[in-house]
Amino acid sequence: MDFSWLGDPFYQDYLIEGFVNTLWLVAVSAVGGLALAVLVAITRLKAPRPLALAVQGFTTVMRGTPLLVQLFFFYYGVGRLLEGIPGIQDSLIWPLLRDPFFYGALTFILSVGAYSGEVIRGALLSVPPGEREAGRAFGLTPLQVFFRLWLPRAIQQCLPTLTGEMILLLKSVPLVSTIAMMDLLQAANIIRDETFLVYEPLMLIGGIYLAMTLVLTLVLRQVERHFPGMKPERGRGWLPRRSLHTHGEAP
Amino acid sequence: MTSSLDDHTPQATAAPAVQAHHLVKRYGDLEVLRDVSLEVPEGSVTSIIGASGSGKSTLLRCLNLLERPDQGDLAIADETIQFDRNPQGDVVGLNRRQLQRLRAKVSMVFQQFNLWPHFSVLGNVTEAPMRVQGLSRRRATEVAEHYLARVGMADKRDAYPAFLSGGQQQRVAIARALAMEPRLLLFDEPTSALDPERVNEVLGVIRDLAGEGRTMVLVTHEMAFAREVSDQVVFLDRGVIGVAGPPGEVFDDPRCRRFAAPAA
Repeated sequence: MDFSWLGDPFYQDYLIEGFVNTLWLVAVSAVGGLALAVLVAITRLKAPRPLALAVQGFTTVMRGTPLLVQLFFFYYGVGRLLEGIPGIQDSLIWPLLRDPFFYGALTFILSVGAYSGEVIRGALLSVPPGEREAGRAFGLTPLQVFFRLWLPRAIQQCLPTLTGEMILLLKSVPLVSTIAMMDLLQAANIIRDETFLVYEPLMLIGGIYLAMTLVLTLVLRQVERHFPGMKPERGRGWLPRRSLHTHGEAP
Repeated sequence: MTSSLDDHTPQATAAPAVQAHHLVKRYGDLEVLRDVSLEVPEGSVTSIIGASGSGKSTLLRCLNLLERPDQGDLAIADETIQFDRNPQGDVVGLNRRQLQRLRAKVSMVFQQFNLWPHFSVLGNVTEAPMRVQGLSRRRATEVAEHYLARVGMADKRDAYPAFLSGGQQQRVAIARALAMEPRLLLFDEPTSALDPERVNEVLGVIRDLAGEGRTMVLVTHEMAFAREVSDQVVFLDRGVIGVAGPPGEVFDDPRCRRFAAPAA
């Protein structure tokens, strides 16, 4: 095992840049993707039929095609199309449209929006309708009912699934190395090409990913555990979700 | 605690809290309410009784417009409900702003409690006063603590609903309804989802509320209780009012006896 290249400041810079880019991409995609997911979920449930069907088509396509293909589609397809628009290269948004980060984030936001949108849709359906009815009966507006009562309860129901989605998102990031973005895998590839060491860089970034996944899991588990209204978790299992529906006697 | 909280003596000039005329409600071809008229005087207790499927819950839910009647006129808590109607006179829409205003004056207690599980007991009781009536958190908390004490749940203010028994949850739900200081309180079978030994703790709270002159409409299967607390009993039979009047008269009426006698 030869890890002497770790002392090289150039390689350190690549690795740090790749690490920071990975965190940014995950953060932007998670926030944007989950916001889109809420929109997808409520549109599929409440929007007029043509719009709901259009959104269903979107989720079907996004969930039915490989992420790598989508990434290429947006970067090489849409990106090149945009390039051809006259004057766009002089416009203020060109630096954004030229950046592979933009296409990575766009692809991941749409993907998370489609997958998590379906998850949240199911969770919204599982919230007993009486809770919303009580909100309406006390004069809350439809928006208040949605954002104060319905959505938080749905998130509560599907938090473990969303945690899984976020971990999958994190582990999808190396795909962007294929569109020339400096992520951890891209850094490892450069190190391999220059030092002719194959395994060591891969082991390093594998270890970094493992550490990131563990940290993310621990953080999200804390969120789950401290979500208001949850019964305290006994042992190590997932949440005792069923207990939320019982209106019977307290144990 | 401030005395104004419990001051709900009816204004001398007030119109009846509920005036419903010729209500009709259909689900498809099924006519659930067929020409029901009902008047609830300010400060009185009205019980709606009847068999399952007779339309009692539907009638109650028309009073805060959780159900929109298809025909008829409604005036509730000084609001004449402005229905949008088609040329045939059928109700096709509502004024959303008036709806919100009405619902702030009419509180409901549900059979399944319908507490919000992600809010604490206190959060359940302060939510609507803060969001709908615009009370400050501090004021809403004062009001909530007052009414939680009234229903004997003050010590559970920080608990979450999942940790409470059914009877406790329903008492919190009653505090939630009272915290809006409503002109009209609606109870939709408030004890039907409770274990038998928990029924009395909830009936006790409702009995106290009736005793202090609150305007209430109650759908119930508890015949003895309805007889005891009501000023008026309405016996609904397949979508029409079979008998209505003082409890003694209604329960002695032969049309009602067949239904209520085994229980009362």
